[in-house]
Amino acid sequence: MTTAEFGTHNWGMVVDVDKCIGCNACVIACQAENNIPINTQDRVERARSISWIRVERYWEGDFPDAKARFIPIMCQHCENAPCEPVCPVYATYHNSEGLNVQVYNRCVGTRYCANGCPYIVRFFNYWEPVWPESLRNHLNPDVTVRSRGIMEKCSFCVHRIRRESRNARSAGVEIADGAVQTACSSACPTSALNFGNFNDPDSKVSKMKDDKRHYTLLDQFGTDPNVIYLAKIDADKKISAGEAATHG
Amino acid sequence: MLVPVLALGGLGVFAVMGVVGAFVITGWLGQPIPVLGFEQTFDQPIDFPHTVHASLKQLDHVAADGQTMEGLGLDCTFCHRTVTTQANAGVPPVAFCATCHGVIGAEDNAELTILRDAADIIGDDGPSPVNWRRVHRLPDHVRFVHEPHIRYLTANPSEVKNSTDGVTEGPSGVCSTCHGNVAAMQQVEQVESLKMGQCVDCHRDNGAPTDCAACHY
Repeated sequence: MTTAEFGTHNWGMVVDVDKCIGCNACVIACQAENNIPINTQDRVERARSISWIRVERYWEGDFPDAKARFIPIMCQHCENAPCEPVCPVYATYHNSEGLNVQVYNRCVGTRYCANGCPYIVRFFNYWEPVWPESLRNHLNPDVTVRSRGIMEKCSFCVHRIRRESRNARSAGVEIADGAVQTACSSACPTSALNFGNFNDPDSKVSKMKDDKRHYTLLDQFGTDPNVIYLAKIDADKKISAGEAATHG
Repeated sequence: MLVPVLALGGLGVFAVMGVVGAFVITGWLGQPIPVLGFEQTFDQPIDFPHTVHASLKQLDHVAADGQTMEGLGLDCTFCHRTVTTQANAGVPPVAFCATCHGVIGAEDNAELTILRDAADIIGDDGPSPVNWRRVHRLPDHVRFVHEPHIRYLTANPSEVKNSTDGVTEGPSGVCSTCHGNVAAMQQVEQVESLKMGQCVDCHRDNGAPTDCAACHY
């Protein structure tokens, strides 16, 4: 099913919320992999920090029976993305590999897409990114450094996808299931984040996404995300199959 | 008397506008204008002649002892070793040059003296890299990888454009498509525009992806 040719994949992610321990390793991995500027206190206070993936914490139940819950949220790469039709310069579009692509050199910084996104996973560069002198050589050469005035968001580590498909074509083989791993999924200690090809019925993610716990974020908007979540299992609570579909 | 002077001034203004306009238009289209000296070439720290190393033909260059020279005809990949496997073609380290030039070449050759000093063969300031200036540079938001291009063109020799005075067999024969006849260049210059239009034209003609995310990420 999988071939190394361009456009035969449908990349997606399955997030098993039950396995997420809220360690934030994915956040750090993403920050390091994708040349994301350092979020200083000043930027966070002005709500202008950038993090392509974040782990949201929320409480379930009342004290003293409250339980901490975690859910990692990144760009959902929606098939029916609200961010895409609003861009006046086609800087964001859906490509044949199921990715919601942000073309940095096309972007003129209208920020319409960030306003349209219900998941709040698009970030605007309010400043030219700067790194301290000690981090001069830490930047990833495979990822563009975004300059001031353009939007950025999770790319599903498209540079890793490109690298693996290139390697596969060079070797004359198909991309093996699990060969492409995003920075967050490879850093996840509990395998809560799983990346793969939904077009391949035998891939790990294809099998996972049919789990009866599956749901998508903000399903009511009809965005049809490529990120599937598997609901948290609560040992104290009995959940029927129908209930799991709406459980967060 | 005044009228012709004004007319002349008007013509001058038009001429200046014309030159500026032509510069902007050609700059926009990415075609270098060699006559005006806008071609993409730099003086390098060492006046490295690609002719002597890569060409297979008789050279205009006359050696110090008065003998005419033929090019050495080295494969491009002899020095640019990573071009068939990696993103960058790679410039060889000084020590690589020194494996030959520790012995080959006149001792009083000024250019080779710079090289031998950098390779720590002469002098006592230790080895230091040569600060070559990059001629073919793409913008930072483009991810160009040599490996698939070399692989495709090697498998499809009919798509190779331009010709070279150097080796035409194997991966070395395809470089001229984008880099021109480097084997005939005393000083390397950029002969193709290497703008996105050229990339997309070639990608479309050869069935390569024209998706933005193929190169921009």
